Amino acid sequence: MKGTILRGSLSGGLEVRLDIGENIEEVKVGTFCVVEGRSQDFFSMVVDEDIEAANPKAFYETLSDNPLLNEVVRGTGIIDKVKIQPMIAIRREDGKVQPVKSIPSYLSRVREAREEDVFKIFGRPDRTHFHVGAPLDMDHIPVCVDLEKFIERSNGIFGKSGTGKTFYTRIMLCGMIKSGLCNVLVFDMHSEYGWEGEDEDKTRKKAKGLKQLFGSRVAIFTLDPESSRNRGVHPDFVVEIPYRSIEAEDIVMVREELNLNPTALEVIYVLQKHLGQDWLITFLNMDALAIEEFAENTGSHAGALQALQRKLFRLQKLPFIKENPADDAVERIMQYLDSGMNVVLEFGHQRSMLAYMLVANILTRRIHELYVKRSEKALGGMQGNNTPLVIVIEEAHKFLSPELSHQTIFGMIAREMRKYNVTLLVVDQRPSGIDPEVLSQLGTKIVALLTEEKDIESVLCGVNNARMLRNVLASLDTKQQAIIMGHAVPMPVVIKTRTYDETFYKEITRDEDGAFRRPMPGLKRTSGTGSIASNPDGEEPPPGKEFEDLMKELYGL
Amino acid sequence: MIGEIIESRTAEFVAESVRYDQVPAYGSFVRVSDGGLRVYGIVSGAYTGSLDGMSKAKAFFKSIQELKMEQPQIFELLRTEFSCVVVGYAQDGRYHPYYPPIHLSLHLPVEKADDDEVLAISQHLGFLEKTLNSPAGNGEELTAAAIRTAARFHPDPREYIVRVGRELLKMLNYDTQRLKSILERVDIS
Repeated sequence: MKGTILRGSLSGGLEVRLDIGENIEEVKVGTFCVVEGRSQDFFSMVVDEDIEAANPKAFYETLSDNPLLNEVVRGTGIIDKVKIQPMIAIRREDGKVQPVKSIPSYLSRVREAREEDVFKIFGRPDRTHFHVGAPLDMDHIPVCVDLEKFIERSNGIFGKSGTGKTFYTRIMLCGMIKSGLCNVLVFDMHSEYGWEGEDEDKTRKKAKGLKQLFGSRVAIFTLDPESSRNRGVHPDFVVEIPYRSIEAEDIVMVREELNLNPTALEVIYVLQKHLGQDWLITFLNMDALAIEEFAENTGSHAGALQALQRKLFRLQKLPFIKENPADDAVERIMQYLDSGMNVVLEFGHQRSMLAYMLVANILTRRIHELYVKRSEKALGGMQGNNTPLVIVIEEAHKFLSPELSHQTIFGMIAREMRKYNVTLLVVDQRPSGIDPEVLSQLGTKIVALLTEEKDIESVLCGVNNARMLRNVLASLDTKQQAIIMGHAVPMPVVIKTRTYDETFYKEITRDEDGAFRRPMPGLKRTSGTGSIASNPDGEEPPPGKEFEDLMKELYGL
Repeated sequence: MIGEIIESRTAEFVAESVRYDQVPAYGSFVRVSDGGLRVYGIVSGAYTGSLDGMSKAKAFFKSIQELKMEQPQIFELLRTEFSCVVVGYAQDGRYHPYYPPIHLSLHLPVEKADDDEVLAISQHLGFLEKTLNSPAGNGEELTAAAIRTAARFHPDPREYIVRVGRELLKMLNYDTQRLKSILERVDIS
């Protein structure tokens, strides 16, 4: 694409007159071009195209079968016009990238964006600049996300079901893990990140999970060892949750799943107040008499208590909730994270929302407390390793709905936890279900096709040029196309995401900077059953254990 | 030499042909050397009439051959003059696509422009404006004739005509109808 600036405004975008001989059919909306102004280059995106006549009569008079006349008029009397939106200005003298605050002068030349232009804006792929895909129609040019900025804030990955959210998440996880800039904790509801996942392209093999790609840098925790074994996964740790770690807040969070009414929620607080830390197991073990006695003593309603107890019995059906678990899962996760490892928590068959939310909330609350302490210590110079943590949650609207986001730990993290080095990566298909306040706090959003008006609106809230992006968003392909906007990219960009295939595996596991062999900062060896098998030499096999050994350790079977 | 200037203005000049029946083609390029200047023009019209300019020729209703045999003297009483629009001039080997500082003197000889001169002049599309606004009022016709002549000297005539056409369209204020009527008179085949 070659042309000159014809007219335009800062607010309405610029119009480019294509040079004679250029084919407007080859210029696609969403592609990038560069306007070479006098002192700045304007990196711009094609947003619209049309045909204009200097003298409208020309439209009707050149229809004659005079090829010579048509050739003369095309490009002179009737011009092909492309509308572009300048997104970023690059000062030519020092290459400084800055927001657009002026427009290029009349007749400035416009050309297609080249690799070096894209690099100037998005950076060259390196340890902190992660290649996520390519601009539309420029398959060979890598677009990078600045991972340092990405992990600074909470982020979101949105898209309708089947648009590849899981793949985008996998790709981002790979980038973050490879960079070593942060640790990730994935609440893997459908067990697709840890070892392997389904690839919708049936011609390819199963998609490799993080453990297969990163080996000893990833630990798989599971809530359902049997499911893990059936899938051929060797988990590093089986998570069990003690009853005593379930708090009133956790139950409030799953009230819909347990079908609890507001009265029941009040009763729970009474229970916790009177029974202390062991309130849940004590309450579940009460018989009718004990309940009546408790009701009398506390002035609560026995019927309500009984109804609540019946509902809470559902928790007993969750096999991972134990009275006296062999090990403290949170402690263990923290140990792994502390030693620079990344943790994927598989839910196996426990994929009910009840289990997912309960576990995610309990673990995250504890982790949050620990990170707050750690950050405070780090501030005081007492803690060396304060690597940021990114927590990945799916079905995020359940955690971050407007009703719940103020009560749950996730809402709090989304709002303010970046101060404590913990951020969220929320994956969701209904962004409109998420509290707008939380949405507006998300730093970077990766959005695949959304068709629902409300979802588009909520994703675009707080974004510049929302009107323009709306068209782009609704016209994305259903596969492998996403728009990235926000903190980690200097401008919103539509990309064709990388294919998650052998080439990607090779690249992501290539050890350019020795990061794989380098001992993780703060690595410490722990004794006991869950010892971390990382070794400064890095020669040891991944620390996954055989299922039988694991069961022996845990249950003495 | 094909003629001699008998009337001169800044924008055009009139020359008398050396022979009454030898006249440069309409729309062809001519050259007049005036001191250090070489002024170029495009033939914009021609006229043949009686020598004195007062009396009219008389019809004999015979073929030219018969007339030449029977009345050879009448041809001696005829004269032909042709007018040219000035399109530019060359000085010190450099071509300027605009009027020379001083209009041409009378009685200067008019010559046919060389092929490479035509090629050089017609590269500057400035001549179009002169032909289009020819004082004779036949601008479109003259322009078409000039383009026809010039295109023949270019290696790719069609490409040249397209280039000229684009320039013309702007001069015509994007009036495609007029452009069409001109281009239809430029048949290159």
